[in-house]
Amino acid sequence: MLLQQLVNGLTLGSVYALIALGYTMVYGIIELINFAHGEIYMLGAYMGIVTFGLLTALHLTSPSSGATLFLMIVLAMLFCGACGITIERLAYRPLRNAPRLSPLISALGVSIFLQNFVMLAQGPRDKGFPHLFVHGGIDFPGGRLSAIQIFIMATSVLMMVALQLLVHRTKIGKAMRAAAQDKQMASLVGIDVDRIISVTFMIGSALAGVAGVMVGMYYGLINFFIGYIAGIKAFTAAVLGGIGSIPGAMLGGLLLGLIEALGAGYISSEYKDVFAFAILVLVLIFRPSGLLGADVSKRV
Amino acid sequence: MGRRWVWFWTAGAIVVLAIAQAYAASTITLGVAGPLTGDQGAIGEQLKNGTIIAVEEWNAKSGVLGKRIEIVWGDDQHDPKQAVSVAHKFVNAGVAGVIGHFNSSCSIPASTIYHDGKIVQISPGSTNPQLTERGLWNVFRTIGRDDQQGTIAAEFIVKKLKKTRIAVLHDKTTYGQGLADETVKTLEKAKIKPVYYGGITQGEKDFRPVLTAVKQKNPEALFYGGIYPEAILLTKQMRELGMKAIFVSGDGVWQQEYIDIAGNAAEGSFVTFTPDQTKIKEAQGFIKKHRERFGSDVGAYTTYSYVAANILLEAIAATKSEDGPKIADHIRKAKWNTALGSIQFDKKGDVLVSPFVVWEVKGGKFVEVK
Amino acid sequence: MKCPSRSMPLHQRPLLRIVLASVWFGLLSLPLMMELQAPYFGLGRPLMVSAVVALIGLLRVLALQWREASTGRLERLLGASGSAARHLTEGIDQRLLYALALACAIMIPLGLNRYHIDVLTQVGIYVTLALGLNIVVGLAGLLDLGYIAFYAVGAYTYGLLSTRVGLSFWEVLPLGALLAAIFGILLGIPVLRLRGDYLAIVTLGFGEMIRITLNNWDSFTRGPNGIIGIGRPKILGFTFSDPIHYYYLILAIVLLTIFVVDRLNRSRIGRAWTAMRDDEVAAEAMGIDLMKTKLLAFSLGATWAGFAGVFFASKMTFISPESFTFFESVIILCMVVLGGMGSVPGVILGAAMLVILPEMMRQFALYRMLIFGGAMVVMMVLRPQGLIASPRRAIALRHTDSRRPSVVSPLHTP
Repeated sequence: MLLQQLVNGLTLGSVYALIALGYTMVYGIIELINFAHGEIYMLGAYMGIVTFGLLTALHLTSPSSGATLFLMIVLAMLFCGACGITIERLAYRPLRNAPRLSPLISALGVSIFLQNFVMLAQGPRDKGFPHLFVHGGIDFPGGRLSAIQIFIMATSVLMMVALQLLVHRTKIGKAMRAAAQDKQMASLVGIDVDRIISVTFMIGSALAGVAGVMVGMYYGLINFFIGYIAGIKAFTAAVLGGIGSIPGAMLGGLLLGLIEALGAGYISSEYKDVFAFAILVLVLIFRPSGLLGADVSKRV
Repeated sequence: MGRRWVWFWTAGAIVVLAIAQAYAASTITLGVAGPLTGDQGAIGEQLKNGTIIAVEEWNAKSGVLGKRIEIVWGDDQHDPKQAVSVAHKFVNAGVAGVIGHFNSSCSIPASTIYHDGKIVQISPGSTNPQLTERGLWNVFRTIGRDDQQGTIAAEFIVKKLKKTRIAVLHDKTTYGQGLADETVKTLEKAKIKPVYYGGITQGEKDFRPVLTAVKQKNPEALFYGGIYPEAILLTKQMRELGMKAIFVSGDGVWQQEYIDIAGNAAEGSFVTFTPDQTKIKEAQGFIKKHRERFGSDVGAYTTYSYVAANILLEAIAATKSEDGPKIADHIRKAKWNTALGSIQFDKKGDVLVSPFVVWEVKGGKFVEVK
Repeated sequence: MKCPSRSMPLHQRPLLRIVLASVWFGLLSLPLMMELQAPYFGLGRPLMVSAVVALIGLLRVLALQWREASTGRLERLLGASGSAARHLTEGIDQRLLYALALACAIMIPLGLNRYHIDVLTQVGIYVTLALGLNIVVGLAGLLDLGYIAFYAVGAYTYGLLSTRVGLSFWEVLPLGALLAAIFGILLGIPVLRLRGDYLAIVTLGFGEMIRITLNNWDSFTRGPNGIIGIGRPKILGFTFSDPIHYYYLILAIVLLTIFVVDRLNRSRIGRAWTAMRDDEVAAEAMGIDLMKTKLLAFSLGATWAGFAGVFFASKMTFISPESFTFFESVIILCMVVLGGMGSVPGVILGAAMLVILPEMMRQFALYRMLIFGGAMVVMMVLRPQGLIASPRRAIALRHTDSRRPSVVSPLHTP
């Protein structure tokens, strides 16, 4: 059972990690807990269904081809990225200099708005995700590693590696890191901070979109409310790993997934969230900035 | 602005108000409460549709007591606090009766307020025994109770399926856990202790960890107390994990979505529900009308709310009054010929005959088990 | 310093902007709103969205033009409502105003029906909660996202003690508050070292932990079935049964809360909280014991939630874990921020608005929450300091970036 739980946990954790990345990137640059991020993930999932419906209705691809899946993911990324930028422009940019809590409330408002918008546009019922080509798997003693689980973990790792490369090897990544460190200085050396912030939102939202499509495939069922819970979990994961740190979000996500799976399997499925939060508190007691968080020394 | 304008507007306002008052006095209002929006909105829709058809039928026959029937909606979004708010609103509006609520956790606190306001409440969907056990005179329900449902499910598993290793899961809600507990009670009477008993959280998607732990105990059957969104996921994930246990559940899962979305995984599952409405001849007219009016088939609770509305309106007509206690008395005494057959209520407000049977998912459809 | 941006919108050509914006939003809403089966792919709905956006854009342009055309009038009209109110009432003795407000609060409900009274009672409960949270978030600057836990503690204390031990409402009222305060300290201890947003997630976790435990500890709390048959308050043989009785009770509680919070605000501890909120290090340097101050904030804030919880349980006579979700914590936080953090009248107004507006919008049923979410964003963007900013905040906001108040600024008055 242990191996199966590990597989369960890592798959779950990969999804959390992808969403947590968006949280952490945005926080790193403008110190905002973007509560609407969970809803972006939900939008990605719905986008997947819409893309699939469109493609099959226009007979452009067949339901079981890789091209369909590829297009679903890409379009979800584009759509969510666009949504992320729009939200930033409308709800957060005007509040850049406002008291700390105002953008938070704005984010909550966006979250409620998006949830209800999707509920009205797509209906309150759960929607089934199309059955795609990913079948089969590997059996091992004690359990089964399905193809879709492999796909999810692989895609997540791929995305994370791509993100790391982007942030550390490209010019725009350098600009992002600079802006995260000190916005004023970054603008003084000629970086268009507003544009960088938009790019950050775009990337974070795109990643959440990918997570949405994959989750749709994995569970086969989505509704307008999935962003709420996923958002809280991903936020917890980001904090666990140290909010603001990209490797931290990845680590936090995977760890949270594992804790939940092992907790539910071995201890109690009812108290698994209590267990997860208890671990979070313990970690924060000993490392107040999260596992990989920057050691915030008090500058006097 | 001259003084003349003031008089004009005042006169106009008075006229409008008078018309509104007169109109109101010539109508009877029914309150319909339930999760009309939100994640359980699909069920709220069923409550709405059933009542709408009933009211339209009555209004076509010039209403009740010579007055037109109006419906006022109360959305509680399965939140007890909102249910209380809706209840106060209904009492205020002087409704003649209430069809609702759906969730037991909403019907129960609301019923106290309706009781104080002397208003009859008929619930088409709350199955928790507590609702009627308190003996409030104004509370009725057209659907069965969880202790009836759970008993039937448990007996089916033990006697028909002949399974002894049974795992029990629930969704930690008043309904889901209540139903699961009733099932466990009956199982224990048959000297069977569940090999696993645990809860999952509504709204979560990933139950693989729990199911993996359940799988360790090698259950032959899994009973789930809860509603269809989680049931779909549980069934799918059970099969993906290679579990062969038979999936059994209650009325909250008797929804076509369960079969549609769970697909092949749902084949061979069993669900308790009321007897096949298409075989009840009294229900045919209603089912046809529903398809014509809304373009879809009746849902699990549509007919219950249709029946509830009809009983309420008939009682008002028979007692020729909108007086709560009189209506309640009549409902309790009379024998009702409804779209679900003949119904009678007991002292507590429950239907006398336990109307639950077992259905099987066969060939992509629900089929009643003989 | 505002970050310079080269990508400023083309403000020379407002009409072009409007066209672009409506096209953009139409495209964004397209995937979710189109229907493949409908004729023309159901493009009607995204087009409606475009039209709405264009309309809003045009309205905004018109409003800006109107503002430019008549600056003085507009400034006076749109000026900070808080300071405007203060200007108006400067001449009148404050106490007269309060007496008037109190008289209204006492007299008006007598003429209202039970539904309205119930709504007002709910407002009262949320005002108490918001004022309590205001201590933690507004005064002490500790972002608590799990405040609802203390509310739950109060409610369940009364629920359990009433149904199992038979204690009366008045006996449990102080007990519930005390227990909530103790939980406040329990929450405070592990988070003492945590910075701002880490604190937020831990408090969120705490709130969730309480709710999950309440939901699962069947033998103790009856789990999701909740506790039923909770006793109503009794005075000298008279039982509270009508909504109006409850209204006056919560009014009394609210008045007590306002009084105590106001006293606290002006006291040494209140100043310590504000100092700690603005700059922890400087506060510590001035000799403020951070640990004690934080714990006091949590526990005192929790006390009011405890009171509110006991009242809530007695009013509903039925409580279940479903009433104590994270979303509730969020709503209370919104009330504090929307009203204006740290300012008592602002918080009261915020609470009133966030309870009354959704109720008023019930006839829009489906669109209610959509409008609510949108309104929150609009409110914050238009007025980030809240409806009635507290005097201290108002001064701070005018001169510095309030997130990192500059120690050097000579205009920064505490």
